[in-house]
Amino acid sequence: MTSEVVAGPAIEVEGLVKVYPGGTRAVDGIDVAVERGEFFAFLGPNGAGKTTTIRILTTLLRPTSGRARVLGLDVTERPGEVRRRIGFAMQTVALEGLATGRENLELMGRLHRVPGPELRRRVDELLELMGLAAVAGKLAGTYSGGMRRRLDLATALVHRPAVLFLDEPTEGLDPQSRAALWQELARINREGTTMLLTTHYMEEADQLCPRLAIIDEGRIVVSGAPAELKRGIGADTVTIQLEAAEGEMATRQDAVARLLDGFSPLQGLERTDEGVRLAVVDAASTVPDLLRRLDGDGIGVRALTMQHPSLDDVFLRYTGRHIRDEAADRPLEIGW
Amino acid sequence: MLAFARETWYLGLRTLRRFLRVPANPISTVIFPLIQLVGFSQLFRDIIQLPGFAGQTSYLAYLAPGQIAFTVFLAVSWSGSNLLYDYRNGYLDKLRAAPIRRYSILAGELVPLGLECAAMAGVILLVSVALGASVATGFVGAVLILVLCAAFGVAWSGTSFLPALLTKNEQATGTLSILFFPLAFMSTAFVPVRLMPDWLQVLNAVNPISYVIEAARALMTTGYDWGAIGAAVVAIVAVGVVLQGATLLAFRRLTN
Repeated sequence: MTSEVVAGPAIEVEGLVKVYPGGTRAVDGIDVAVERGEFFAFLGPNGAGKTTTIRILTTLLRPTSGRARVLGLDVTERPGEVRRRIGFAMQTVALEGLATGRENLELMGRLHRVPGPELRRRVDELLELMGLAAVAGKLAGTYSGGMRRRLDLATALVHRPAVLFLDEPTEGLDPQSRAALWQELARINREGTTMLLTTHYMEEADQLCPRLAIIDEGRIVVSGAPAELKRGIGADTVTIQLEAAEGEMATRQDAVARLLDGFSPLQGLERTDEGVRLAVVDAASTVPDLLRRLDGDGIGVRALTMQHPSLDDVFLRYTGRHIRDEAADRPLEIGW
Repeated sequence: MLAFARETWYLGLRTLRRFLRVPANPISTVIFPLIQLVGFSQLFRDIIQLPGFAGQTSYLAYLAPGQIAFTVFLAVSWSGSNLLYDYRNGYLDKLRAAPIRRYSILAGELVPLGLECAAMAGVILLVSVALGASVATGFVGAVLILVLCAAFGVAWSGTSFLPALLTKNEQATGTLSILFFPLAFMSTAFVPVRLMPDWLQVLNAVNPISYVIEAARALMTTGYDWGAIGAAVVAIVAVGVVLQGATLLAFRRLTN
């Protein structure tokens, strides 16, 4: 079914807009292209339009305007053909609790028309891979959260989809299960499956996604490789705690400011309660020089920390807000 | 068509498992008709001496077809909740993203429901026979009774599917099942139509369950009364067209 070659990139989205009946503009003009074999992520706060976009791509929602193609097939014009070639694991795990793990997999395989003997092999293989072989005969309703996630992911893989869509695949998992799941996703991708996933976990996206698009308020604000995006921010942050006697902190800070006036890697200086926070280009190689200068002038340093820019800094640069603030403020999203 | 049948088969197996793996489902369905069958047949044993019961050998024999048909009401009273549950937890979306015909999803609910109705009605039929009732038309007639029960159950399940799909509220799913009481107690399940006051006779004429009961009663006590069987089929089709037609539209809207 899925070995058939269809022309075009794995995912192609042009001017995609979705306005819900209530008037909410969930997706407000998204353009993106994902090549075959890529591991691509949508990063953004809850309510940014990630889920809506992924639901359009998986044929569950019709766009208000714009085009979306998966493997060259238009999702509104040829939904049936798209469905045969994709796998989708939603934000909320959807399993039949009164069926066993094996039965859950077999049903999805049957609906995808995987032939009997091949299906049995594939189900065994997936149960083994997901570490569920021992509980294959138990009702899925008795599984733990991590096991349910893995089984749900397996049901999206039974028919060997060419493109796999994952909406917040690590949501609700403990850190250990999350790490294991990412490893599994990377392995599936290495075997040739194109991956498009959404997440609001910055650290995960940063470390594990070769390329991503940052989405906010229904638009892609910037996209690229995490390292490249962070380089675009330029400076690292160097936080220095100064040695200063009671009431002398201000004088010390002034001295630092004078001393570093004209120090070329410095892009910004901010006073804190305990010292200064500097924006410095390539902190790792400039900090020794910086320390020598301070030392030469008799300014005592109590502690120093360096921080590379994070994807949150990237988000902040383009939207003026932090991803985390947003995520915390939103009411719980309910899965329907 | 073949693909539709195939998808319905696999989805139907899932529905059937859900029913059978919770023993409370079959038990709660048969318990009430069983109590009525055993209790009322003893309590009102001598009622058949009334002139309206002419030709009946025992009240149990008169009562049994009504209890068999009632079982169907109970079997379908919460039938819309499965679909609603799937809608809530995302399973419906999972099925919608699979390469299947969307009406297979509905058929995958309704076909097993018919089987459940037949099986549950069959339990009451067997108990009735064990207690002394008989089936004049034999095995074939008994099967025909169960087929009528299955068809009526599928048609009537619209009273659960429709509020479920329209309100998307679990509580609403069983609300219309209270129709069971007026419809059951004003039917010919307990007394023949000749013993009813005029106004009840009028209501009885538009009570679909009475037609199913009369057909079942004929098959059990006298023989193949094609007039009664035909009337039951018409009643079932009428209920089915209205309720399942509306259900289909509501399902279409939900999955668009």
